[in-house]
Amino acid sequence: MIHVKDLKKQYNGITVLNIPELNVPEGQSFGLVGNNGAGKTTFFRLVLDLIRADKGEIQSAGTVVAGSEAWKANTGSYLDKGFLIDFLTPEEYFDFTGHIRGLSKGDIQEHLNLFSDFFAGEVIGRKKYIRDLSMGNQQKVGIASALMGKPSILVLDEPFNSLDPSTQIRLKNMLNKLKSQVKITMLISSHDLNHIAEVCDRVCILEKGKIVHDIETREDTLAVLESYFAVQ
Amino acid sequence: MIRWFITHSWKSALRSGVWQKNLLTNIVIGFFALILILYMLILGIFIDKILEELAPDRNPLNVFGSVMFYYFLTDLLMRYMFQSLSTLAVEPYLHLPIRRSTLVHYVTAKSFLHLFNFIPLLVFVPFILKVVVPEQGAIVGISYGLSLLLLVFNNNFLATYFKRQLTGQARIAAIAGGSVLLLITLDYFKLISLSTVSEWTFMKFIAYPVLVVLPLALLFFSYMLNVRYLQKNAYLEEMPETRGKGATETLSDIRYLSKLGLTGSFIGLELKLWLRNKRTKSILYMFPIFVLYGLFFYPNPVYNDKPGFLIFVGIFISGGMMLNYLNYAFGYESTYFDYLLTSRIDLKQYLRVKLIVAMLISTFCFIVTIPYVLFGVDILYINIATYLFNIGFLSFLLLFMATYNKKRMDLSKGAAFNYQGVGAANWLAVLPAFLLPVIMYLVFNFLLNKYAALMIIGLTGIAGLVFTPFFVKVIQEQLLEKRYVMAENFRKES
Repeated sequence: MIHVKDLKKQYNGITVLNIPELNVPEGQSFGLVGNNGAGKTTFFRLVLDLIRADKGEIQSAGTVVAGSEAWKANTGSYLDKGFLIDFLTPEEYFDFTGHIRGLSKGDIQEHLNLFSDFFAGEVIGRKKYIRDLSMGNQQKVGIASALMGKPSILVLDEPFNSLDPSTQIRLKNMLNKLKSQVKITMLISSHDLNHIAEVCDRVCILEKGKIVHDIETREDTLAVLESYFAVQ
Repeated sequence: MIRWFITHSWKSALRSGVWQKNLLTNIVIGFFALILILYMLILGIFIDKILEELAPDRNPLNVFGSVMFYYFLTDLLMRYMFQSLSTLAVEPYLHLPIRRSTLVHYVTAKSFLHLFNFIPLLVFVPFILKVVVPEQGAIVGISYGLSLLLLVFNNNFLATYFKRQLTGQARIAAIAGGSVLLLITLDYFKLISLSTVSEWTFMKFIAYPVLVVLPLALLFFSYMLNVRYLQKNAYLEEMPETRGKGATETLSDIRYLSKLGLTGSFIGLELKLWLRNKRTKSILYMFPIFVLYGLFFYPNPVYNDKPGFLIFVGIFISGGMMLNYLNYAFGYESTYFDYLLTSRIDLKQYLRVKLIVAMLISTFCFIVTIPYVLFGVDILYINIATYLFNIGFLSFLLLFMATYNKKRMDLSKGAAFNYQGVGAANWLAVLPAFLLPVIMYLVFNFLLNKYAALMIIGLTGIAGLVFTPFFVKVIQEQLLEKRYVMAENFRKES
C-alpha cells in the first residue's frame, strides 16, 4: 500500500530522514517508535505530502504522493493541532470534514455515534470552540475526524498523547476492532511501547532518521522494544 | 523579586518575534511613529500661536482649558481601542511562592511606562513653558503641569481597567465614541456646553495650585481599581486572556449556505473565521474607515481637478477591505493549513471561493459608497471604473501575491496595531498594482479624454472577469508550487 524508495530529507545539511526502502502492505498496522527528533513526524509529513523530499519518493496505492491529489480521498490523518480549525465547534468541524469527504448529514451523525463512548460526553454538545477544549479533547476531535469517510489508509502521529487512561484503552480497542473488521492500513507512531506493541502488526524503530529495527509483532516484541530503549 | 520581573519583561520584549520578524516592517512602523512624534512636537512648539489664531480675543489659557475635557475623553477612547494591556504573562508565576500582591502591583505599575503616557508631554511641556509660566509664574506652571501629567496617568489606568473589565469589546468603544461625538455636536450648537465646564475646571487648577491633590487622588483611585480587580481575578481561569466564551450560533450558521454545496461550506467557514477571531474582528471594525475616508477628499475642491488622485481614492474605497482580505488570504488559515493540504479539496473551487468572497466585499463597499455621487457624477464614474478594475484585475493579482506571504498569523490575539504575521514586503509589492490604474488614467486622458480613460480602466476589469478560469488556473499552479514553503512557515509559531 505504501512504498518508500530512496527517501531522504535534510534540514540545513543535516539528514533527518533516510529510508532506502520500506513497504507497508495493504491492511498492515505499522508502528513507528523512536525518541524525540528521530524523524517520525517528518516521515508522516512526507507521507502526507506536507513537505518536499530532497530525494526519493513515496507511493501510496500505486501513485506517487508528491504533487498528487488522488491519495487524499482514501487517506485519513491527524498529526497535530495544525489539522484542527480551532474557531469552529467540534460539530461544525465534523460537518465540514464530512462534507469535504462527501458524507451526508446522516452519515456524519452515524459516524459520530460510533464515537460517543470515546468522546465521553466531553466533545459533542458542549457549545465550545475547539480552541477552548483541553488538549485531550482536541486530540479526540482530530482522531475522530481522521476516521471519517472510512479511509483505507490512516496516519496518526502519537495518538495516545494527552488522552486519559480510559480513552487510551478505548482508542486501542477501537483501532484493533477496525483492523479486524476492515482492510485498513495504519501508520501510527507512539512513545508508549506498550500501546504500539498491542496495536501494531509490525514495529519499526527509528533512530536519527534511519530505521534500525524492523520487527513483526510477537509475544516478546514489548521486551525487545524495552531492551532497545533501556537506558544504561 | 521585582528585579526578576523586570529582566523577564525586558527579555520577552527583546526576544519577541516582532524584532526578529522583518526589518522592513519595523522601519515602516518606526517611520510612522516618528511622524506622529514630529507632528506632536510641532504642535507643541507652536501651541501659543495656534491658540491665539483659534481665538484671538480669548486668553490662550482659557482656550486650552476648554478643550481639555474633550482631549481626555478622546484619549481615554483611543487608549481603550489601541493600547495593549500591560501584562506579565502571569501563568508561569502564579504557582510559585510569590506574593500575589507583588505580581499585581508590578503588572499594574508597569503601564506607567507606556509610550502613550509620554506623547502628550510633547505638547504639554512647551505649552507650560511658553504660556503658563510667563503668565502665572513657575509654581503655577509646575502644579498645572503636574496635574495634567497625573490626569494622563489616570486615563491610562482607567482605560486599562475598562479594558480588563470588558476585555476590549469594540461595541462599547463605538458607543462611547458616539457619545463623545454627540457631546461635541451639542456643544457646537450650544445646547450643553461641556467646554464651559472644562474651561471652568481647568482655570481652577490655575487659580489654586493646591488642587493638584485632586488628580493625585483620582490617580490613586484608578490605580487601586486596577490592583483590586487583578487581585481578585489573578486566577488562571478568570484571566480575560484564557477565558473562553461559550460558542454561540451566529450569522455564519445561515442554513441557506449549506444548500450551496461545498462552495457554501467554504463561504460559511470564511464567515466563521472572520466573526470568531479577535484579530479578524478588529479588521472588520476598520470597515467604516475605508468607506468614509472619501469624505476627506471629495468635499475638498483642491482634489476636484485632480482625477488621477481620485482614481487612487476610488481604488481604495472599493478595494481597501478586499486588499485586507486577499493579501493574507492564506495567512488567515495558517493555523490549519496542513489540514487543508491533506483534505480532498478541489483547489480550483477553494480559490474561487476566495475570489467570490473578495468580490462580494468589494461590491458591498461599492454599493455603500454610491451616495458619494452627491459630490459630483464624475465621482460615481470614477468609482464604477475602479470597482470593475478591482474585482476583475486586482483581485486575481492580490490572490496570486498572497502565496508569497508565508507568515503564521495568530488570529486569537486581536486589536489594531497588531503586526504579528504581517510582512511589509507584501504591502510594498502590491502598491504598484494600486498605482497602475492611475497611470492608465493619466496616459489615456492625455491620448484621448477623461471618459475614454475611465472606460478603458473599467473594461480592463471586465476583460479580467472574462478570463477568470485562466487566472484561477495560474493561481492554482502558483499555490501548488509554493505550498511546501508556505506550510513549513505556517507551522512556525512565533
